Order: sequence, then C-alpha cells, then structure tokens
Amino acid sequence: MNVVRAWGVPVGAVLVASAVAAILLALLGAPPLEAVRALVGGAVGDSLALENTLVRSSPLLLIGLAVAVSFRCGIWNIGGEGQLYVGALAATAIATRAFGSAPPGVALPLALGAGMVAGALWGGLAAVLRVTRGVSEVLSTILLNFIAVLGVAYAVHGPLQEVVATYPQSDALAATARLPLLPGTLRIHAGLPFVFLLPFLLWLMLFRTAAGLRLRAVGLSPEAARYAGISTSRETVRVLLLSGGLAGLAGAIEVCGVTGRLFENLSPGYGFTAIAVALLARLHPIGVVPAALFFGALASGSGAMQRVAHVPSVTVQVVEALVILFSVGFALPRRGS
Amino acid sequence: MLRVELRDVGKRFGSTLALDGADLEIEAGEIHALLGENGAGKTTLVRTLYGLVRPDRGEIRLDGRETRIDSPAHALSQGIGLVHQHAVLAPALTVAENLALGEKDSLWLPPARLAQRARTLLEAYDLALDPETPAGELPVAHQQRLGIVRALARGARLLILDEPTAVLAPSEVDSLLELLVRLRGEGRTVVFISHKLEEVTAVCDRVTVLRKGRTVATRPVAGLDPRELGRWMVGVDPPPPGEPPGGEVGSVALRAVGLQAGLLRGVDLTVGEGEIFAVAGIDGNGQAPLEEVFAGIRSLEAGKIEVLRSPLALIPGDRQRTGLVLGLAAEENLILVEAARGGSEPLFRWGLLRRSRLRESVRETFSRFDVQGEPAQPAATLSGGNQQRLLLARALRERPAVLVAINPTRGLDLAATGFIREELRRAARSGTAVLLVSTDLDEVLELGNRIAVLFRGRLYPVEAGRRTRERIGELMLGQVG
Ligand SMILES: Nc1ncnc2c1ncn2[C@@H]1O[C@H](COP(=O)(O)OP(=O)(O)OP(=O)(O)O)[C@@H](O)[C@H]1O
Ligand SMILES: [Mg+2]
Repeated sequence: MNVVRAWGVPVGAVLVASAVAAILLALLGAPPLEAVRALVGGAVGDSLALENTLVRSSPLLLIGLAVAVSFRCGIWNIGGEGQLYVGALAATAIATRAFGSAPPGVALPLALGAGMVAGALWGGLAAVLRVTRGVSEVLSTILLNFIAVLGVAYAVHGPLQEVVATYPQSDALAATARLPLLPGTLRIHAGLPFVFLLPFLLWLMLFRTAAGLRLRAVGLSPEAARYAGISTSRETVRVLLLSGGLAGLAGAIEVCGVTGRLFENLSPGYGFTAIAVALLARLHPIGVVPAALFFGALASGSGAMQRVAHVPSVTVQVVEALVILFSVGFALPRRGS
Repeated sequence: MLRVELRDVGKRFGSTLALDGADLEIEAGEIHALLGENGAGKTTLVRTLYGLVRPDRGEIRLDGRETRIDSPAHALSQGIGLVHQHAVLAPALTVAENLALGEKDSLWLPPARLAQRARTLLEAYDLALDPETPAGELPVAHQQRLGIVRALARGARLLILDEPTAVLAPSEVDSLLELLVRLRGEGRTVVFISHKLEEVTAVCDRVTVLRKGRTVATRPVAGLDPRELGRWMVGVDPPPPGEPPGGEVGSVALRAVGLQAGLLRGVDLTVGEGEIFAVAGIDGNGQAPLEEVFAGIRSLEAGKIEVLRSPLALIPGDRQRTGLVLGLAAEENLILVEAARGGSEPLFRWGLLRRSRLRESVRETFSRFDVQGEPAQPAATLSGGNQQRLLLARALRERPAVLVAINPTRGLDLAATGFIREELRRAARSGTAVLLVSTDLDEVLELGNRIAVLFRGRLYPVEAGRRTRERIGELMLGQVG
C-alpha cells in the first residue's frame, strides 16, 4: 500500500501527462508516434543521447535535492537558479582569475568549493532577511535570482570577460580546473558519480541524524519544534545554507564539467525545473533521482524531436508543466479529508 | 420578545461528558450571565442553542414552543445570534461586505449602496468605522463589535456572547458593557459568558452557574454573595482521595522571581525537590505566558527564572499544537528533545541515529508509560490519551530534576487521567520538582503539595489551613483576603 502510494502518484502523473501531450501533438497535426519515437531516441537512443541525458540530469538532481530539503523544513527556496549562477560565477572567478595557474589538484577543488560557498551565502542572505526582518524567503529568493543572473551578465561583459574580449563570455577554464571526462565517454565528467551519490547522503542526513529530525520537525510544526527546544531561526539559516550550497555546486559543476566557461544563459532554467523535480519526487531525496532523470531525458530528447519530427520543442515544456500539475494535483490531500 | 428554555440537555464528546443534564432559562429582555469553571460546558450549552452542537438529549423551548435548532441559519431565523470571542469575519472583505454577508439579497447591491447601509448600521451602534476597510485590518475589539452589529442586522433579538471580554482591554470592556445595557434597553436579550465576577455584577440581571455539565443554580444577581457563587462554581465536595505526595521536600530546584511577560504581573514561586507546586486558576489569567516563559519561547519583560537543578523538562499544554509534531513518527517525537540538544550518545553516534538502540529504548519507554501504538506510527494517528502518554514519556524519560506540566490531563478519560497523575506523583517521590499548571481543580487538589491561584497575572498562595474548594474558588474569582 505504501509502495503504491509512494510510486503510484508520480508515475501516474507522468503517464497521464504524456497521454495529454500526445493528444495535443495530434491536434497540432504532428504524428504523435513519430514525435515520441524521436523524443525517446534523443533521450536514450544511443550512448551519446544517454550521456547527454545524464549530464543534463546532474544540475536538476542537485537543485532538486536543494529544493526538497528546504521544502521539508518549510522553507520555500525558489532561488535555485540564482544560487546556481552565483556558484558558476564564483567557480569561474577562482579558476580563471585567482588560481588560474595553480598546480593540478588545487584549482579544481577550490573552484568547486567556491561555487558551493557562494551558493550557500546567496541562500544564507535570504535566511538572514527572513530571520531578522521577517521577509518571506519566497520573495527574496526570487529577487535574488534576478540579481544573480544579471550579475553574471555584468561579469562576462566586464571583469570576467575573456582576454581577447570578442564575446561576452569568460576565458576557457584551464585544464587543471576542469572535471576530467570519464574514460571511454564523450560527455560524462568525473563529478557525475559523486552527484548521484548525494541523494543517498541526503537521505541519511534527513532520516538518520538529529539534524535531519530537527529540520523535518520545523517543517511539519514550527510551534511544537520550538516547544521541544529547537530554534527555528537556526534551522532556517542552516537549511538555506545547505540548499544554496547544493545549487551553487550545481553551477560550479556546469562550468568545470560541462561548458568549460561562463556565459549568459548558462542554465536553461534548471533552477526552476528542479522545483518540479522535487515535487514529482514528493520531496524524497531518493525519489529525486528518477525525477531528475525523467526531466533530464525530456530536455535532451526535445531537441531531437524538433529536428526529426518537426515538433516545436516547446511542447516538451507543456509536458513538463502537465507533469507538475498532475503530480502536485494528485499528491495533495483532498480538502476536508 | 423571546423567552428561551433549555431543559435537561446532555452532550457527550467521545469520553468527555460535556453536558450532563443542563438547564438554562432566559427571560426576555434580561442580561443573563453564564458562569462556570473551564470545561464546565458553557460554550457547549450555548452552541446547542445556536445550532452548532446537536445535543444527545434534552429540549429547547422558544416562547414555550419546543423547537429543534439544527443550524446557525435556523437559529438566526428564530432571532438567536451568537458572536464568538474572535468574531468570525471574512478578513479580506470590507466592513460593508461583511455586514452584507449572509443576507440573501444585499450582496447584489452596488458598492455605494452597501457602504451607505453599513454606515447607517454602524452609526446606530456608535461604531466609527470606515465601511471600506478590510475587516482583517481592524483591531480585535472592533472586529468583535462588527460581529455584534452583524448579528443584530440579521435580526438577532437574543444575542449570545461567549467570553467577549477575554480579548479586550479594560476601557473596551466598559464600552462593551455599556452596549449590552443599551441592547437591553431596546428590548433585546443577552446571554453573557464571562469568568469575571465584577462584569457579571455590573450589568447582569440573573446568573446561571454550571458545574461539570450540570446547572447548579440560577439566581438574581442583586444581593448575591460572591463567596456563594464561588462555592457553586467549584462545589463543596471533600477534596478527592489519593494523597498528595507528602514526602520530604528537598532544596529549591526551580525559582521564579518577579516574572513579567504579557499578562503576568510579577509572579514569584519556588519549587523544591520532591514537591508538586500546583497553580490553579481560570484560563486567560496568565497561564499562556507562564507556559511560554518556561518553554523558553518568550522572553521576560522583567524578573528571572533560576533552574537550580537540571535537566528541566516540559509537558506543553496543547498536545496537538505545541506538544507533538503530528506528522512525525511517535518514536521521532519521543527523541525530539534529545535531537534539539544536538543528538548524543547513546542514541546517536557520530551524528547518526542508531536504529537498534532507538528501537530498544522506544520499546522500553512505550511499555514503561503504557503507550498503545507502534513506534513508527505517525503521532497524529495515536488516540488523545496515547498522545498525552507519549508527551509524558518524553518528559520523564530522561529523569528530569524539574518538570513543568501544563494541563497534563485535559480532555482525557478516567484511566489515562489516573495514570498520568500517578506518574507525576511518582516523579515527585523520586525527587523531581514538579510545577503543575492546571485549570482542573480536582487535579490541583489531588496533586499539589502547595497550591496557588493565578488571577490576573498574579499568584495568590492558598494558605495551608484553608486548602478547600471554597477558598480556591474565591481566589479564582479574585476574592482575595
Ligand atoms: N468538539 C469537541 N470535541 C471533544 N470534546 C469537546 C468538544 N467541545 C467541547 N469538548 C469538551 O467538553 C467539555 C466542556 O467544554 P466547553 O467548551 O463547553 O467548556 P466551557 O465551560 O466553555 O469552558 P471554558 O471556560 O474553558 O471555555 C470540555 O471537557 C471540553 O474539552
Ligand atoms: Mg468556553
């Protein structure tokens, strides 16, 4: 019964959403079967497609975890996108400016660490605003997104722009600051296995430590948590540091493992899609893995669908939106029950 | 004119008998006070009259005719209106819209007409309010007044007010009482629930006293002896059996000096090792801030609390809201206080929860405190008695030197109540200093080595030689000296 409840809703949501999307495609005049074949082919059809899907899942997974832990604590961190951007910015600054010529084994950890710290501080800013001034974190994290995205735009037009100053982008990261590719692959960087280990660590943290218990208690009943001696302010700060750190790490990994440099539009909205990932996973860290893979596959398959079946890739966004609607709609308890 | 009689009304909620054959007789055109301890059944009784509670037995007569009232709408159509302490308004709607709510035709009126109507009504009751203000932005006193005006606008000839003054400042109380007198002058009838004796003597014509779901007396207020009222409220039965834990009282474990916070106006107390110090009193006299300062979630405006022996454990007063995290498993609730302190040996090692230790320890605690339920079951799904046992277990599990317990048996059946009281006594016997705050007079008499009454934010000790219901009843109503 529990298993059915845990998996039935998300899987059902995905199936219903896909069916509705197929009907939409047919109405648009596209042959649904061909479109789906192209989509699946582009997502998992060959090893390159598969690698592409995995690489795109990585930021979704990290930020999906970030969103899930913060929501579990009753903190609505909508700022994953901004935290990703400041993480990428910090990693790039460290790798191209401060420690560009550091010996191997120094620049990379520093860059990744800087990304994490920057993301954590970005989240921490929202926490401080909430704890000291009572500013809703929903509002502050959304606004901090704009600042981060525009900050990156400024950086790649200004202080961090490449030396030749041709394009609004940073210099390429030195090889010592990049995540090496795993042998025998074209796109899988060395960070990926670690990323896929994190859900387990977070599960452990949430369900097997005192810190996780405090965090969930605050999310479920701040009042009772306070009477038990838990400081809700401290938990708010902690969870936003953690959440921001994860999203910042996602940004650093994008730069060090995938793009090799910083530019505007680094993220196709990973920070927002990750909210859907977390909701589809019903805020469970392990559930984030399939949810991130699913949205990663959609993202990597949509290009192929557009190319092969001439279906506009925005229909994929429709599918994403439908999945969110259905999973959230099914997951919420009925009113009054 | 409306004359109301309720006869032999009974109502049971699960294991609590809220009404046990209560009678109430209200003459047209009087202000009738309803008095009684917390839990006596006052609210339940007036809610049956307003169609919010369906009684198990008994009858309601309006002007002599037996009537079944099955909804507030029906009550209103009979001319009966009830205003809650916090008037139930739609906070986002304006004053004018709130006044129009529930009237079939008026919501279709254009806003200007609505506002005009509202202005007339408000003026008639001296309520200087802007009809365009959202009701949620009004101060509590105005919201309450608006609730009253709305009930009158819907044609209430009998107005029931359930503890309206508990949320008001003294000057607001005066103006509310003036309004009641004025309504009486207009020929309306008022039922007024209050715990404040001088409000009752100031404006009421007659008073009915309820105790444990039964009507004890109905009398004219004029010439009434307050001592007698107190006696009716709390009864004259001998104190309940079961002796207070008369062991050796050791050195002071908990001391509070001059506590001021919210309603608290300088509370001093000490609790010795092995002693139960019981604080009686009617809710709303400072119990809430007292609990909050001991829970450490409210800062003191003045005074200090010295915890001379630790650890200090707390049993919060509302098991569903402040006691348990209902969405967490029972076992997780049990170790929440330990987790709040950081999580240490033996339940945690290197920050990780040791599941086998936990299971073992939880089983032990569950059987020791007789908690019926699965450790992994969400606390929400436990019965009230088991939820309370869980809270008791959480507090006593680590053998606290000081225990603060707020209404630890509220709403429980006899078995659970007896069990919890015995555990508190046992804790005291083993040397724990217990501060018990309870609105249940039996509990206070049964458990307290020493008793004091909290009245309007001050503590009045019950003299050792005058440990009777009468004396405590007097103090609860403010008859000091
Ligand atoms: N809906 C309910 N479900 C269960 N028990 C209830 C319910 N309503 C009231 N009770 C119980 O019935 C008893 C009488 O409650 P009631 O609210 O009528 O008392 P009261 O005299 O108004 O007390 P107070 O002065 O504290 O307002 C109490 O023991 C209360 O816990
Ligand atoms: Mg009441």
